[in-house]
Amino acid sequence: MMARPSTLSSARPAAPRPSAERTPRTQRTQRTPRTRHAQRPLVLAGLAAAVLAITFVSLMLGSNLIGPGAVLTGLFDPAQDAGSVVWGSRVPRTVLGLLVGVCLGVAGAVMQGQTRNPLADPGLFGVSAGASFAVVIGVYVLGTSSVLGTLWLALAGATVASVVVFAVAALGRGLSSPVPLAIAGTAVSALLVALTSFLVLSDETTLAAYRIWVVGSLSGRSLNGVDAALLFAAVGLVFAAANIRSLNTLALGTELASGLGESLLRARLTGLAAITLLTAAAVAISGPIGFVGLTAPHIARRFVGGDHHWLLPASGLVGACVLLVCDVIGRMIGGNAEVSVGVVLTVFGGIVFISIVRRGKMATL
Amino acid sequence: MKLSSLLRGSALLLAPVIALAALTGCSTGSSASSGSSGSDAGSSGGAAAASGEWSYTDDTGKTVTLDHRPEAVASYADYAIGLLSYGIDPVAIFGRVDVATDERFAPYDISGAAIVGNSYGEIDLEALAATAPDLIVTGIYPTDREGTLDLAGPLYGLADAEQQAQLEKIAPVVAIMVGGKGLDVINSMNRLAESLGASADTVAAAKTKYDAAAADLTAAAAENPIEITQMYADADGLYVTKTADEPETELYASLGVTFTNKNPDGYYYWDIYSWENAAQVMSGDVLLLNVEGFQKDDLLAQPTFASDKALQAGQLHPWNQAALDYASQASHMTELASIIRASKKL
Repeated sequence: MMARPSTLSSARPAAPRPSAERTPRTQRTQRTPRTRHAQRPLVLAGLAAAVLAITFVSLMLGSNLIGPGAVLTGLFDPAQDAGSVVWGSRVPRTVLGLLVGVCLGVAGAVMQGQTRNPLADPGLFGVSAGASFAVVIGVYVLGTSSVLGTLWLALAGATVASVVVFAVAALGRGLSSPVPLAIAGTAVSALLVALTSFLVLSDETTLAAYRIWVVGSLSGRSLNGVDAALLFAAVGLVFAAANIRSLNTLALGTELASGLGESLLRARLTGLAAITLLTAAAVAISGPIGFVGLTAPHIARRFVGGDHHWLLPASGLVGACVLLVCDVIGRMIGGNAEVSVGVVLTVFGGIVFISIVRRGKMATL
Repeated sequence: MKLSSLLRGSALLLAPVIALAALTGCSTGSSASSGSSGSDAGSSGGAAAASGEWSYTDDTGKTVTLDHRPEAVASYADYAIGLLSYGIDPVAIFGRVDVATDERFAPYDISGAAIVGNSYGEIDLEALAATAPDLIVTGIYPTDREGTLDLAGPLYGLADAEQQAQLEKIAPVVAIMVGGKGLDVINSMNRLAESLGASADTVAAAKTKYDAAAADLTAAAAENPIEITQMYADADGLYVTKTADEPETELYASLGVTFTNKNPDGYYYWDIYSWENAAQVMSGDVLLLNVEGFQKDDLLAQPTFASDKALQAGQLHPWNQAALDYASQASHMTELASIIRASKKL
């Protein structure tokens, strides 16, 4: 029995570390900083254009196959919007999709920068687990499964879980290293997931409501009442922007960062606030959506490199694109019904992520 | 070297699997013995053995033969309600929702029954075995319109085939098929109840009440020919049962009630509409809204459905799935008849 762990660990792929074959590419990148630098505004403009294009497509296409003319008429004259399809469904889910995508993309970039771990997901610090638990409690105790009630519960749960994780980490080995935070996050998540499973398995009604929420969807949401989530997202983006310089110095290692006069505590607090607020907003609106926070920064890094001044906005734009594209695909493949964006993302996101890993272009952070 | 370490590794990996298998073997062995000791107690305790052999072939074609008529019956909630209506009190009940608060049990006294499950597939096997049932009753839903039964999979209300095997060790399990015509399901319930000792007179009395309620429903539907939408809704969209695929709507439709049924062909049972497509099913004058999922306020918050005429007119009623037996259906039909009479054609 003793031999089992070692047998398993020897079978596991080696942890990513700068290898001999990676060195030439790094040198090549360093040799041409000026060309890359010059291209960045262009790349960002291209990404913004892509977001605009997919926004247009998202307004045009849906499970109700009304013509583009009818969509445009309804868009510019809500009175002519037959069945409220444009303003009642397309507009809200497009706006919310953009918002969720930007939030997850930026949160993912901040999370990966903070932890210097290319596999870190915005849910790592317990935010998604906290939101899930709060939603389940809401259904189980209060019997609420309305979209709006769920949104508030998710915001509250995400915030509380994040504060708990931070307190646990701060009480322990401190915050100079991201490891205590990640461990506390994993531990708190595990506990919350266990409690969630317990409630869900002991009550069929809760399970039914939870199952719908946990898949992650933009369907049936309205713009009314999402103000709180919008506020979370806006403040989160401000924190993320404020964290950019620290993220760049943290990339050099915590010791060097302190040497450069970086206040680690402030850098961690700002980053954690950004991740919590952004992820909470996204989870509250759509339910926990995987892969966007994980993959968007990787795609963005290939376009603009590792400088967080460029990486954060690029990740946000890529996140918005990915989420909306997947949502539109889900709308089109279900006939009269739809396939949730969470399901589409799990399928496509998995494939994309594997291709990223296979090409070996994952940056070592 | 490599091969040997690989072999050692796999042997070590196998060890817990074998240990687990042994444990499972132990537990199945113990539950089997507790089950058989339970039924021993049942047969020795009752004098039913004298009444001779009992045999019953259920809707899956399975024949159960016992040396006496089952006295102690455990049942899934929906069929327990049917048995109770004929005065057969189950010794144990397991349901999909909390049995104690399930309003469908309101007319009956179930204080004598052990409640051994309140969630789908969650059955307390030890508590069930402790009631020493002679027979366990549950259901089976066909997988398509043609009535195909998946006999390899678990019966309705059971988590998986393994749990079903555990149940079989406690007592033989019979299933009522819930599909096709509503009246066939009711008749299947009657056949089981009569086999378990319900007298022909009891069933005939229940039928008289049922027939009166059915005639009244037909009259109500003729007086006020309105369209009824039976639906479930959640954030993903709106679900309408296909009239012919749900035994209850099939039954009411055969009695003259008109249901919203835009797409009777295609996929079995549900007709699913995204919220963008909600307008396609906004023709009903009355909404019978499933008690689970979205309720009235949630529907009003959906811009693409808020203008629904029945919703605006307040002709929305929470609707629970009734059991398929004469008594349950008589009261459900009376409720529907009064809803129809109280509603306006919009």
